[in-house]
Amino acid sequence: MMEIINTLMETVMSNQVSIPLIEPMLDSLPEIPMLQYMVAFMLWKPIFALLICPGLTVGGLSLLFFPWIERKLCGRAQWRVGPHEIVWWLGGVIQLLADSLRFLFQEVIVHKDAHRPYFLQFPFLSFMIFLLPLLFIPAGTIVAIQTPYAIQIILALVCLFPLFILGFGWASNSRFAYIGTVREAFMYFAYEIPFIIAAIAMIILYGTSDPLLMASRQSIPGIILNPVAALVFFIGAAMATGRMPFEIPDSDQELCAGPHVEYSGIAFGLIYVLCYEKGYILSALMTILFLGGGSGPAIAGLGDLSGVFWFVVKTYLVLTTLFMLRAVYPRYRLDQGLKLGWSPMLVMAIIGLAISLVVVAVRVI
Amino acid sequence: MEETEKDRNIRILHSGVFTPLRRWATKWSLWPCHFLTSCCGVELAHTGACGYDMERLGTLNMGISRQANFIMVEGTITRKMARALRIVWEQMPDPKFVNVIGACGQRGGIFWNSYNITRPSDIVPVDFFIPGCPITPEGLLRGVRAVQEKIEGRDNTTIRFKHVELPPGDGEENRAPTTPKIFAPTPLVRVDVPRDVDWAFGNDLVKNLKAQLNGLYTSITITEKNRIAIKTTPENLVETSRKLSDTMGVDHVKSVNVIDVPHERKFMVEYMVSGYTEELMPVILTIFTEIGREAEPEITSLASLWESANYSERELHDFFGVQFKGNKGMKGKFLLAPDTPDTPLRKDFKLEEEQYTIEEGVPLTPAITPPHYTPPSSSSPSYTESELEDLKMPAYEDVLKEAEKNDEFVAFIGPHHSGSGHLRWVMRMKGDIIKDVIPDPGYVHRSMEKIAENRLYIQNVPLTERPNISDPINMNLGYVRAIENALGIEVPERAKYIRTIMAELSRIGAFFYDMGIFPLFMGHSTGFMYSFAIREMVLELMVRMTGSRCTPSFIIPGGIRRDISDDVLDRTRNFTSAIHKRLKKYENIFVYNPVLISRMKEVGVLTREEAIRCGIVGPFLRASGVEYDVRKAEPYEVYDKLDWEATTGDAGDCLGRIFGRLEEIKQSVEIVRQAVDAVQGMPRGGVISEEILGDYKEASDDIRGYLYNVYGDLVLPKGEWTSVTEAARGTVLYSIISDGESNVPYRVRIITPCWMNLRGIIEASKGERVADFWTVYASFGYFPPEADR
Amino acid sequence: MKMKSMKKVVGPEYNLGDKIKTNVYAVGVAMQESVYPHTATVFYPRERKKMPDNFRGFILFDPDKCISCFNCSFVCPANAIRMKEAPNKRYYPTVDYGRCIFCHFCIDSCSGGALKATKIHDVAYKDMDAMFTPTEEMIELPEIIREDKKYVEYEIKEDDLHLKRTKGEDYLFVEVPPPKEIPMVSTCIDPGSCIGCRVCADVCEHGAISASVEDGGTLRMKIDTDECTGCGLCVKECSMQILMLNKLERE
Ligand code: SF4
Ligand code: SF4
Ligand code: SF4
Ligand code: SF4
Repeated sequence: MMEIINTLMETVMSNQVSIPLIEPMLDSLPEIPMLQYMVAFMLWKPIFALLICPGLTVGGLSLLFFPWIERKLCGRAQWRVGPHEIVWWLGGVIQLLADSLRFLFQEVIVHKDAHRPYFLQFPFLSFMIFLLPLLFIPAGTIVAIQTPYAIQIILALVCLFPLFILGFGWASNSRFAYIGTVREAFMYFAYEIPFIIAAIAMIILYGTSDPLLMASRQSIPGIILNPVAALVFFIGAAMATGRMPFEIPDSDQELCAGPHVEYSGIAFGLIYVLCYEKGYILSALMTILFLGGGSGPAIAGLGDLSGVFWFVVKTYLVLTTLFMLRAVYPRYRLDQGLKLGWSPMLVMAIIGLAISLVVVAVRVI
Repeated sequence: MEETEKDRNIRILHSGVFTPLRRWATKWSLWPCHFLTSCCGVELAHTGACGYDMERLGTLNMGISRQANFIMVEGTITRKMARALRIVWEQMPDPKFVNVIGACGQRGGIFWNSYNITRPSDIVPVDFFIPGCPITPEGLLRGVRAVQEKIEGRDNTTIRFKHVELPPGDGEENRAPTTPKIFAPTPLVRVDVPRDVDWAFGNDLVKNLKAQLNGLYTSITITEKNRIAIKTTPENLVETSRKLSDTMGVDHVKSVNVIDVPHERKFMVEYMVSGYTEELMPVILTIFTEIGREAEPEITSLASLWESANYSERELHDFFGVQFKGNKGMKGKFLLAPDTPDTPLRKDFKLEEEQYTIEEGVPLTPAITPPHYTPPSSSSPSYTESELEDLKMPAYEDVLKEAEKNDEFVAFIGPHHSGSGHLRWVMRMKGDIIKDVIPDPGYVHRSMEKIAENRLYIQNVPLTERPNISDPINMNLGYVRAIENALGIEVPERAKYIRTIMAELSRIGAFFYDMGIFPLFMGHSTGFMYSFAIREMVLELMVRMTGSRCTPSFIIPGGIRRDISDDVLDRTRNFTSAIHKRLKKYENIFVYNPVLISRMKEVGVLTREEAIRCGIVGPFLRASGVEYDVRKAEPYEVYDKLDWEATTGDAGDCLGRIFGRLEEIKQSVEIVRQAVDAVQGMPRGGVISEEILGDYKEASDDIRGYLYNVYGDLVLPKGEWTSVTEAARGTVLYSIISDGESNVPYRVRIITPCWMNLRGIIEASKGERVADFWTVYASFGYFPPEADR
Repeated sequence: MKMKSMKKVVGPEYNLGDKIKTNVYAVGVAMQESVYPHTATVFYPRERKKMPDNFRGFILFDPDKCISCFNCSFVCPANAIRMKEAPNKRYYPTVDYGRCIFCHFCIDSCSGGALKATKIHDVAYKDMDAMFTPTEEMIELPEIIREDKKYVEYEIKEDDLHLKRTKGEDYLFVEVPPPKEIPMVSTCIDPGSCIGCRVCADVCEHGAISASVEDGGTLRMKIDTDECTGCGLCVKECSMQILMLNKLERE
């Protein structure tokens, strides 16, 4: 019995998140029984990744606060203030808490025409599925599942998203949802190919698809090495998350939010954060592919957390930029979105691929 | 029953384990379903925009009923809209709250005796009523706060009156006076009262007309400068019109009108037509004829000749039951709801009378029968089949059938839809291409014309600005000018300048309203905020000039209510330079945004011919290349003394319409600047014409105290008095028919620009992509209350 | 000539360079504004926008100045003002805020200055019945919820709009001088046609008209110019339409 625990402990201890700052505190822990194991377990990198960063805690907090940041920032750019009065000396930070609690406690209406089981299942299912890519995303050196095919898996999972949105639309059985769903399907075709090509360009450039390795090979960030691919990836991310100017499937004023027009209560609450979830994942991916992941000047005392810090900062930067598009652009039309995806973006993606090849060739020579 | 409904939401919030959390969360997350029902929506938009920023309170406007938990009923709920209100309310998840803003939604406001309004409190349980017309953003936010307090379970009284006993007395009982209104018992209604005017071209024109229409007309009269009435017989109507169209270049209809003269057993039908040729532009030819007053009188439609008459004919069919033979829309109702009284504009349909005293047994609230369906109560929580049937809107079965045959997809958009405004569109599409759009207007039809013929002339001043409170001054100006023309009053110079300043400010305001809604339709909230920030400045000037933000009622026959102060003039002068800074930013972020340009370019093209055929007006007509601006063609106020240019364009697409108006706004700013400079150099005072003041000459710089004494008994000379005014969205036409004895008009016809532009929207969006519909729609600055009147 | 004063507007035509330029401008504005915003927001419940003194809000009433002329009631476009008989048998106005559209036509029609404007406008009523305000409640300034600690003025300067914030509460009522006096009296223009119906005497709130039988048995209505307030009710009601308001020429 002890042996099993010991071997387990060994695996756990061999892969600990090291944080010099709290080490003295940790050292005093053995005096308290069990806690030591628990802390060790928590600091075990895969678990840390899953529960803290980039997983549930940071992810959840992002979902809770990012909409607030977005609303505040957009508000600022729009000559107003955004959510404010709720705790006005803090500028209304907990606005989203109120919103989500309200959704949680509100009635969920399933209308007569809806396909009841799917209508209710999809929001919850998709929320889960959308979290999966987080398993493969490293924050600094911390990752839940390390595989050499992480990028491909993430891309594959990301490409699953639209299916669920189609699911909402189909289960809602409403005219607007129908139009929105069709648009979503179209847009999916518009961005997917250039988006993946851009990612592949970076895989070629770094010669690996293991995010940890990728980060370590970015002494010069990917965005400088291959700005074209970065641009394509960014636009693709904007399209995938349905941000302006590509908020085409759920264009509020045309289709009343398209696929999720019929959702209410917590089901809508989940859908509402889905888009931020997507945004978070894609920004994280962008950070890894183009901004060097968690690399950055080490911060004394933080140890491994320094990587986490830089990762979070970069991800938030990308996320903010992505969401600030809302303040700058109106919405494209479906055909314009498609055209953009199929011609300039595809061309640019291929150029990006070529640049990568050139860079690799230069390196080899 | 309603009481329990009202409390149910609070009960829900106050039960269960998480009560405090629930209450707290709901309190800070009241998402109003922006149920844009009427003009009060303008102030709602201001509250949501950067001037007040409703989002601060966690109150985020949401277009989708399923996700909102709060309705703000913005003013009038018409009989047609009542169903929508109920349906939306039913669609919202519990707990939900309802506030009614604006007097219209309470005891009816200015439309209290309209035949087409209902009271929201009969339809849904209402938590709070906020008075005002429109409410101020502060009032609206106070309502939100009151709901928050209510959720918290605290005392939510917002006003406490102090009771002061009136002096006891010993006076004698007095008889209360009766009504001040005088109705002639058998009025003499003539639309062709001749008048001697100095108008050489007119005399030639009449000669010419007589020659052309030989044998077709009964009489041709000059009724005013630029106005000619041609009387003909019902049989010759079409022939006369065709002649005019073929030989004289008459190409559009400005107004169609029916006048009911019950004691002479006749209807008069008149078409006001004109042509966009250099000479004909300011001239309005009124072709009129008389038909017998039967239940379903018939006359041949002119819609095939002049498409622009089409919708007006359908509207008059609703109002008077006149059948226009040849017009396809003569089945069913167009503007009115199925349960509105039939043919309400006939004289034998009477509106409720005013009450001037409070007496026992006379209720405060006018008798309004609620719509047919009864809302479910706690005892019978679901609808019966027949009630459900009653809740349904017209379904356009034939359209559906035809669409199915052609393999088209049909969507019913509105009246509650975040991008429909307050009307419904039935859109037939094939793939992503719009095949046809069928409008279903009338959701804000508040029977302006009927009400106007039951009120004193002066009481109609506030009424005439209600169609469009985003451009109140121009709406008002048209009406007042018609009266001034009739009475032959010359307005003092200073008042003219001030009116011009205000009219142009109002035009700027309306432009920024449209250019704020346009970005919203494009999903660009920054554009909305920026333009409403500029509009907030305009309103600030308005409130300083007149005391009211959106509904000044400031222009009265003969001048303006009171002189405006130098301080306000200075501010207005500053505004003309201050606006540029913010406008520049607005342009950079929105108007010149490449995404937007690509959305607008070559979308919704109306060629010159199409535009004229559809009868569209104003900047939208000019964008299609017609050089017609009333301010140039028939200058009023001081437009001919100032240096400015009207705009035209020839692309006729959304881009042209938007940029045309943008340039127009810059010209307006220029006009304001020049006019302010001129006013600043003038002596103060004397802003009401002494001709109209009569004995009350001392009131000429401020009417305070004597408004009723001066205007109460105003009577216009016999005849028809038509004025055309260039409002922000196009030509607004008022024609007032007076019998010369009553102190209320006999008939008032209001043709608003949006009503004419409706046809243009339909034409322009055919064949475009689905998403473009909103571009086209918004590029026309369509304002439903204005169209529906 | 007309042609010349028309300006042709052509929408912009973008090439690639312009596209990049305009994109940069748009992003630039957003970035600039998120750093140095030109915020125009009034934080309403905690601060209040200062409305000018001529703002049209709730209405106050001063019974001492009222001559019961019914002008306010007659002119009200929404029929919000209905007169109620007070204990002293005079008619005084009541306002129904469920209808009032705040046009202040009533105030502009009140020659004695009995009706006065306040700057109150942010009120929410729990039920519609409370919106009816009897005369007794219109005499003193009502109390409203004030959460504001500051007031804000929109200052439009030559360069831009500025928000000027001042600590303290804004006042809600401004006393204005009564309107200029234009004294009028009722006079009979054709005593011969009088049919002696006494409607005028019945309707006069000030007892200015009395009937007297002249010698010869003819009935004459006598108008006391000192009592007459020039309210015009008798003029309106006279069945023969022989009364007229005339300017009172005082020596
Ligand atoms: S008329 Fe218009 S502004 Fe006035 S209360 Fe009604 S909806 Fe509001
Ligand atoms: S107008 Fe003034 S004086 Fe006349 S009744 Fe009304 S409040 Fe009294
Ligand atoms: S403000 Fe206007 S609507 Fe209100 S009571 Fe006075 S006259 Fe009537
Ligand atoms: S005499 Fe006529 S005008 Fe004079 S106070 Fe009496 S009712 Fe009014």
